[in-house]
Amino acid sequence: MKRAKFSAVLVTTILCFVFWLLITGQITALIAGKPSIQVLAAGCIVSILVAVFTARFFIHESAWYLLRPDRFFTLLLYCIVIFPIELIKANCDVAFRAFSPKLPVNPGIVKIPTEMKSEYGKSMLANSITLTPGTITMDVAEQDGKTNLYIHWINVTSTDPEKAGDAIKGTLEKWVGRIWP
Amino acid sequence: MIMEELVFFAICFIVLAMILLIRLIGGPTVADRAIAADSIDLLSDMALILFALYSGRSVFIDIAFITAILGFIGTTIIGRYLEGRL
Amino acid sequence: MRIVIDVLIVISLFFALAGVVGMIRMPDTFCRMQSSTNIATLGILGVLIAGILYSAVCLHDPAMAVKLAVMMVFYIITNPVGAHAIAKGAYKHGIRRVDEELACDQYGEDLEDEE
Repeated sequence: MKRAKFSAVLVTTILCFVFWLLITGQITALIAGKPSIQVLAAGCIVSILVAVFTARFFIHESAWYLLRPDRFFTLLLYCIVIFPIELIKANCDVAFRAFSPKLPVNPGIVKIPTEMKSEYGKSMLANSITLTPGTITMDVAEQDGKTNLYIHWINVTSTDPEKAGDAIKGTLEKWVGRIWP
Repeated sequence: MIMEELVFFAICFIVLAMILLIRLIGGPTVADRAIAADSIDLLSDMALILFALYSGRSVFIDIAFITAILGFIGTTIIGRYLEGRL
Repeated sequence: MRIVIDVLIVISLFFALAGVVGMIRMPDTFCRMQSSTNIATLGILGVLIAGILYSAVCLHDPAMAVKLAVMMVFYIITNPVGAHAIAKGAYKHGIRRVDEELACDQYGEDLEDEE
């Protein structure tokens, strides 16, 4: 098991401490200017301990990757505008299928190619596909140097990998590819 | 302003969770039961959040958060167990 | 404000009802899984956004709103992980559709090729 770098531990500590501030409600006291020293000290110790033991599972690549403004704002735009539109469209589609009396489902498992290189890009694309109703990612596999996603699809319209990929991924892959190539 | 209808919506979510008990008890496979349990967890979380809003006490939100974390860990571990690599 | 919150909660109730009806009616395990995603996305998001609005505007309690926002991010991150784990586990455990065949099953073909 490889050891984590110092920057990875530092970033994980900062994330844990921010999470502690948010969840204990200290963030409002900090803004008002009267934080409780005991709570802050306890959070500091706990987040350092957690980061030392878990940073090697959490950050594998460059730790300051998201700190460049263009990547960060692309991520923000993706999470607030692009992805919810796809989410609402897919939700209405699956709700319509559940309510219609004839149950128009045609399930199947298709294989689609993806061009993501980095681990975070692959996992973010797979999580986005799983989070849209109607498609669930079942496995990610390497084959002949290419990465393939196996996807359970509720309404198979095409079994050709390229066409199915276009129908499932839509605009998601382009936007994820701008954040993590 | 106190909205009384929040309690009514919470009761609606609990009724939906009760309907899902059919799938939890009579589901043909293990995976069906696991998904039904996960969904019941989500629906009761929503009811807890609505009740926290109605009563104005954030203790219920903490309870909902802990239920969410436990439900996630349980679902993932059942998945790993079915796969055969625990 | 009250109308906005009510509309958000009613939308979330509608999608939760759609998910529950789908889970009762769908013919096999994986399709039921798709319907449960329906509850887990718009169902929970509507309630959480309504909760953030209500606690920030009506209750004047920003700590509660921040807690609900953290909860929203947590749900978004962890739901696909659980769904993926249980889908893969169910497939490897040998749960298939019983009454009809799938439209296509490229995953099973590739698994057989490896063995």
